[in-house]
Amino acid sequence: MDRGAEIIIPRSVGTAREPKIRQSISAWIFLIPALTFFVCYQVYPIFRIVWISFTDFEFLSTEPANWIGFGNYIEAYNDPLMWKSMGRAALFTVMFLPGTIIFPLILAILVDRVRHPLLATVYRLILLVPALIPSTLVFVLWKWMYNYQIGPINYMLVEVFNIFTYYNAPQWLGGTNLTLPSIAIMEIWWGLGYHAIFFLAGLASIPRDMLEAARLDGANEWRVFWHITLPRLAPIMMILVVLRFGTSMAVIDEYLIFGGFNRGAPTYTWTVYMYDQAFNIGLWRQGFAAAVGMIGAAVMVFFVAGLVYIFRPRG
Amino acid sequence: MLEQDRKYEANTPQQTWFAKHRFSIIRHAVINLFMLIILLPLSWVLILSIKSLPDSMRGQFWPRKFDFTHYSYVFENIKTLGGNMTNSILVTGATVLLTTFFAVLAGYALVHLKPWGKTFVFTILLLSLYFPTRVVAIISIYELQDFLGLINVTSGLILPYITLNLAISVLIMRSVFQLVPHEVIESARLDGASVWGTLWFIGLPLARNGLVVVFIVNFVTAWGEFLLASTLINDQEARTMPVVLAAAQGGMGQWAWPRIAAVYIIVVTPGLIAFSFAQKLFFKGLAEGVVKG
Repeated sequence: MDRGAEIIIPRSVGTAREPKIRQSISAWIFLIPALTFFVCYQVYPIFRIVWISFTDFEFLSTEPANWIGFGNYIEAYNDPLMWKSMGRAALFTVMFLPGTIIFPLILAILVDRVRHPLLATVYRLILLVPALIPSTLVFVLWKWMYNYQIGPINYMLVEVFNIFTYYNAPQWLGGTNLTLPSIAIMEIWWGLGYHAIFFLAGLASIPRDMLEAARLDGANEWRVFWHITLPRLAPIMMILVVLRFGTSMAVIDEYLIFGGFNRGAPTYTWTVYMYDQAFNIGLWRQGFAAAVGMIGAAVMVFFVAGLVYIFRPRG
Repeated sequence: MLEQDRKYEANTPQQTWFAKHRFSIIRHAVINLFMLIILLPLSWVLILSIKSLPDSMRGQFWPRKFDFTHYSYVFENIKTLGGNMTNSILVTGATVLLTTFFAVLAGYALVHLKPWGKTFVFTILLLSLYFPTRVVAIISIYELQDFLGLINVTSGLILPYITLNLAISVLIMRSVFQLVPHEVIESARLDGASVWGTLWFIGLPLARNGLVVVFIVNFVTAWGEFLLASTLINDQEARTMPVVLAAAQGGMGQWAWPRIAAVYIIVVTPGLIAFSFAQKLFFKGLAEGVVKG
């Protein structure tokens, strides 16, 4: 900081005399646009959903909604599809979560060692490419990758490696058993570069002399990784685990695009169940859909809170 | 160079070049394999979009005959495409500008204007990141938009879109503004600058990197949003590009594979180009706003 700052500091005491209330009002004027939207489209809808979930509200029905207490919740609780669809979301999370942490971590550790400045920059740029492809465009891209007709994946399996013929080549999407793993692979690909960038930022914050000192003391690369690198990366890893756990439990766009509304399909998770009830079936039973959504969200939040508690900063 | 490399070198001086650089070679091979995996899908679509029609039905990566006319074809022959593109540009443009503007104001206020209740606001914004609002709230957002008469109105999407990334945008701007020393802001205020002028001329230039991150994050989300766009809009003309592309089935005529691929490339390129201009600022901003914050 230049010398100007030294002159500034004693003067700054003067602002304390400025009326606190006036300052607070002008601050709130700055906050109002963001908070108005936040309250209207994030906070209010949640409260409204909670309210709807206790009624027999049907969107297309002309009858007024009646308060039915926990009726929807009891029905959802006793509905095998509710728990089956929760299980599917959990299954997807199990398929997706480890890969989306481990692969970027390996990649980041490798890229971090690249000393050639141009190469290092090029690698980082490529890493960010998938993160810059908007969500739906990633799904469309991989819908084509998995296509049984022209998709390059089946082309490789059939024509290049001769593992399958076109008659028994795997059908990846469309509600088969392969659909969830296929989506998990796509999601891991999507996060590969972006998560690696996060880890690279963490790796850059580890002092070089610390690593050098450990190596001079005779620690091998594995021990350096286990005792120095990994603990330093732990906070970033925890944030990614918590965030990605949340997103993978609440996936919906992918399932709507790849799976549709077949109740037997592995992509028919609680989110799709909710959407199906709210916008497709009968008179749009949004009361029940809201209860399904609230149960799903509550289970998810419970586990997220658990993860946050497990990973809480200690000491 | 790796420590192992050096040890290896010291012990066996007359090793071949390959043995000497073994670890480095393996490392670069693995990195390049990953890079290939990242780049191949996009390159495949790019090549598909310039394949001739017969070649597009064959699996080979490299076509026997190129055909660059698909790009002009789609705009001339798919009547709704221009409109869908305009819809996407309008909705995304408005969303990005408004969200960024609101996030700058709110982030700045939370750090440098010290409003009453700022901890509460911060906590609520942070907590909202852990709740699947986007999924669950769709029911009441539909109701709200219906009440406002905005079902099937493309510009109506802007309202819910603003909030998709609003909380994270405010939090990013907050942590970026935290890097701007209070003294700098207060000295400008004492020199007679208005709150507004201080933010615009002093705060914002210092928060430039974070601004780029917020801009890009919001662009990517709004440009590819599917759930709200497909739920709130039913008319083909009023749709945005992601919904059109997600519904497109490869087949004959207008929707022949290379032609959809051309549409895809047209839609995906703006973000990549914008990023290539802003990448330096983006990486700095990512380090300031996201990783530390």
